[in-house]
Amino acid sequence: MSGHSSWPEWVYIGVVVALLCYVGAEAWNVERIVEHVPADAEIIKVTGQQWLWTFEHEDGTKEIGELHLEQGKAYKFEITSKDVIHSFNIHDYVVLLDAVPGRVNTVWFSPGDAGEFPIQCREYCGLIHYNMRATLYVENGA
Amino acid sequence: MKAIIGIGLVLSLLIILPSVQYVLAAGDEPGEYLDRRLEIWGLFYRLMIVAFTVGTVVSGMIVWLVLRFRESNPKATPTEYEADGKW
Repeated sequence: MSGHSSWPEWVYIGVVVALLCYVGAEAWNVERIVEHVPADAEIIKVTGQQWLWTFEHEDGTKEIGELHLEQGKAYKFEITSKDVIHSFNIHDYVVLLDAVPGRVNTVWFSPGDAGEFPIQCREYCGLIHYNMRATLYVENGA
Repeated sequence: MKAIIGIGLVLSLLIILPSVQYVLAAGDEPGEYLDRRLEIWGLFYRLMIVAFTVGTVVSGMIVWLVLRFRESNPKATPTEYEADGKW
């Protein structure tokens, strides 16, 4: 078309593509950083079942409905389920991962603050889903 | 021909991207201690800045288009079809 300039359209496309690349690269990079588990992380086996959470430490200690961790240490959760799909969530530490029967999903974190934090199932799993809770106790190891 | 090149490009990306992901992201080297709250919420805020910037630009452009090309705009000129009386 005569007198028609298309450079604003190319600028528009370029800006949008650049932003999409930035979004993808940033998300990919943060996921990469967050998923790398420190070598000395203690493994905690987390099992979800209707309607409670069970935790097993490396030394074989088991806890039901509560989890005691030390402040500043790294913990790797191996999460699975005995019955239906649940979702393991520690909201205050941005930990959220599905517990799927027959599958072990892993996530790690290091609690920085001592205190009590709620653990809650975040995948509707039946009648008492709303009360499928546990408590995380982060204790000062010093 | 162009379609074949396009399909080839898409297929190679489908192979290349997961390979890069596997080599760089799923390495066996141990990770470092970090506060995942800072990393994840930081990412969220950065992406929200992008989302709101895009939203502002797109909605601003739509508003500008609607105002600039309305019939009652003094600067409005008929399209070549309208000028020829075809419409």
